[in-house]
Amino acid sequence: MSVTEPRPDDQLTVDASVHVQETPLDLLPYCDEAWRPALQAIADNAKTAGVGSELWPPGGGDEPAATSPDELRVHLTERGVDLAILCPTALQKLSMVPQAEFASALARAYNAWLVDTWLRPELGLLGCLIASPQAPADTAAEIEKYAGHPGVVGVYLPGAAVDPLWGHRKYDPILRAAEAAGLPVLLNSVEVMHPVFPFNTHGFDTVLARFTTSDPFAMMVNLIDMITTGVPARFPELRVGVLGAGVTWMPFLSLRLDKVYLEKRREVPFLAERPSHYLKGYFYGTFPLEEAGDPKDFVTLVDLFDGENATVFASGWPGAGHDDPAQIRTLPFSDEAKQKILGGNALRLFGIDADGRRTSLSQGAAAR
Amino acid sequence: MIGKLEEFPEGSHRVVTVGRRRIGVFNVKGSLHALPNLCPHQTGPLCEVKKVTGTTQARAENDWAIEWAFDQEIIACPWHGIEYHVPTGRCLTFPEISIRSYEVAVDDGVVSLQF
Repeated sequence: MSVTEPRPDDQLTVDASVHVQETPLDLLPYCDEAWRPALQAIADNAKTAGVGSELWPPGGGDEPAATSPDELRVHLTERGVDLAILCPTALQKLSMVPQAEFASALARAYNAWLVDTWLRPELGLLGCLIASPQAPADTAAEIEKYAGHPGVVGVYLPGAAVDPLWGHRKYDPILRAAEAAGLPVLLNSVEVMHPVFPFNTHGFDTVLARFTTSDPFAMMVNLIDMITTGVPARFPELRVGVLGAGVTWMPFLSLRLDKVYLEKRREVPFLAERPSHYLKGYFYGTFPLEEAGDPKDFVTLVDLFDGENATVFASGWPGAGHDDPAQIRTLPFSDEAKQKILGGNALRLFGIDADGRRTSLSQGAAAR
Repeated sequence: MIGKLEEFPEGSHRVVTVGRRRIGVFNVKGSLHALPNLCPHQTGPLCEVKKVTGTTQARAENDWAIEWAFDQEIIACPWHGIEYHVPTGRCLTFPEISIRSYEVAVDDGVVSLQF
């Protein structure tokens, strides 16, 4: 597939997942005092030992792709991206931290660091708060704290190794706060296996096997849980995005849920429509973009879940295997569909205009 | 004419044949209702249910708790469980679908269907 397709000048491009690369030392100044020694210990051992290795694996990880907003802006411009939605790297696995208070402290530190260091709406740099599923009340407080910030456009839900799944009412305070703030929630998958999550796939030997299954499985089980526990009824205005799992499983999930729903509607009387109706109202990031032998097949799969209005370009950059907006442009979508997938759908998901301004914030609203 | 009124006691239901049509006749709380014995989903024998039941509902004002509703007014197709509200023909599973009803007349204790 060619990635040299020129970008039309008027083609707004929003990248729904650009990763910042938070390190323990980045977060340290923003961390609650009680948890700084723990974070410092992780920093001290990051290159060797297993302390904190769920989040920051031994070896130190990659060098950051950008060290400042201006530098990041340069990279994005080179990549033809107008607006970038920033999301975490290490804290994608925040749900694996067993200590709820530590998870909450890490989330607070990350959010403060993100807002302070990276979010620059005037540079097209917007971002998502991270939720700690271990501490719903604390997460709700964080959402309320940043609800009026012009650079905060969503709430990132770690989608792997969560137990119970995201439809459980224990998380309602998070969803309620997001809905009230006019912010979408973004389920994010990451190659995590857990003794009970999603199934016995933790037995896989290879990243190939885990990456293939864990990401879409994680998204599917969370989406199924959210739909079948009535999140669409409880939070009808909540916008939901799904990142990191590609999109080609959506036709399967829609058809399968609708099929079972026929006989089991009584279990879910809070759903006024078939499950696929709600799934199609959510948004799905393209990363990792599945590369069909015949590109038309990918377009067909997107069409099968009315994905023209639900698919958002997401690169996963600068992570390994990231995608490029040019790949979308080379696919045999209509021009209108490309515009939606590359930008228009993301504007609706994140509630922003083409200049990255939050549409729900009144003119001149001050950042808190 | 499909029978005498006493053949359709309250709470009962039966399928009658009128010409080439098979029609389910239900006495729901003293009112007679007639629906085609044909589920539009996959042409299942909709009215040949063992029992007319209620179903579940959930409302925002009750925090979406599951409640029992429409007692003795609901049939679920024996083939795939697609539910219908007998008095209105409304499909609960596919909200965009309602099946037709036949008008039921009772004259001198004789029940007939109007086409």
